[in-house]
Amino acid sequence: MNEETGTVDPKLLEMLVCPLTKGPLSYDAGAQELISKQAALAYPIRDGIPIMLIDEARPLDDAGGKGADEDTGQPPPPASEEADTP
Amino acid sequence: MVERMAETQKDRPGAPETTHFGFRRVDSGEKAGLVRAVFDSVAGRYDLMNDLMSIGVHRLWKAALIDWLAPRAGIRLLDVAGGTGDVALRVLARVGGAEINEFSGGAITICDINETMLKAGRAKAQKRGLEGGVRYLTSDAEALAVADGCVDAYTVAFGLRNVTRLEAALGEAMRVLKPGGRFLCLEFSRVSVPLLGEIYDRYSFAVLPRIGEIVTGDAGAYRYLVESIRRFPPQDTFADMLTAAGFDLVKYRNLSGGIAALHSAWRL
Repeated sequence: MNEETGTVDPKLLEMLVCPLTKGPLSYDAGAQELISKQAALAYPIRDGIPIMLIDEARPLDDAGGKGADEDTGQPPPPASEEADTP
Repeated sequence: MVERMAETQKDRPGAPETTHFGFRRVDSGEKAGLVRAVFDSVAGRYDLMNDLMSIGVHRLWKAALIDWLAPRAGIRLLDVAGGTGDVALRVLARVGGAEINEFSGGAITICDINETMLKAGRAKAQKRGLEGGVRYLTSDAEALAVADGCVDAYTVAFGLRNVTRLEAALGEAMRVLKPGGRFLCLEFSRVSVPLLGEIYDRYSFAVLPRIGEIVTGDAGAYRYLVESIRRFPPQDTFADMLTAAGFDLVKYRNLSGGIAALHSAWRL
């Protein structure tokens, strides 16, 4: 059952976008997160339910965070930008 | 006795943005959290409370919603603030079950800002052996995480009065509906029958929070619910808001003398 393994329904993923930018999301199955590159936010999936709330999302501007092996084709940002994240 | 300022509270530049939480005024940023706390506190007994407080009548109202929606197998439905799944599970039953709906290309998604409510709904669906037919999504009606034009129907039952910015939620409803898509909202409204109005007022302010306190231990939460009902725009005002949001063929039906109303609109 989906609910027990915590995996999310692929048909649901197809219709999801970032609530902030309405841009595409990429699914990080390992971290159970949906990543919005435009918004630099990672939305958690808990118990198979995507939590698409901006205030529950993890900011992505920490360089070298998990999910860095996403296929962006872009190098991670330089480590000097982490200064003023709250 | 009830001021009608809810819908006229436009964001004036410079003024601190506040909104209503029941009859209290709170910062706009604060309301979502307060509403979430209310539903967190009542999630486990929400269905029971609905039955007790409405003497079961909410079931008839929801049936009226499904009747007007007249869903067919293959429907792609987004049930917003769908919490414990009352609308979604009724739609599933109406179209002949999850398998038929999915086979016909349909999908039913329950969206709620409150994870606790969704989990209560999922537990209920599992108990009825329906868990496969519904998808669950935690999302805010004012900023839906749903792609443009991807659903045939947007339903919301007793949810919109809890949003902070109603116009934003209606704009999102327009956006996610495909052209030809249907919007249906079931919400408490204004009683149009004089004597009933008086009885209903007394019942809702004196009796409902008491029932809430006894069953869930949280009278405050139910006082909020009662107050929020009075702040939601009346039938005609809400119909005008739907038109202003770009909907066509806006209509409404009163239920139980206007205690609740069902608004229907189309994205054409």
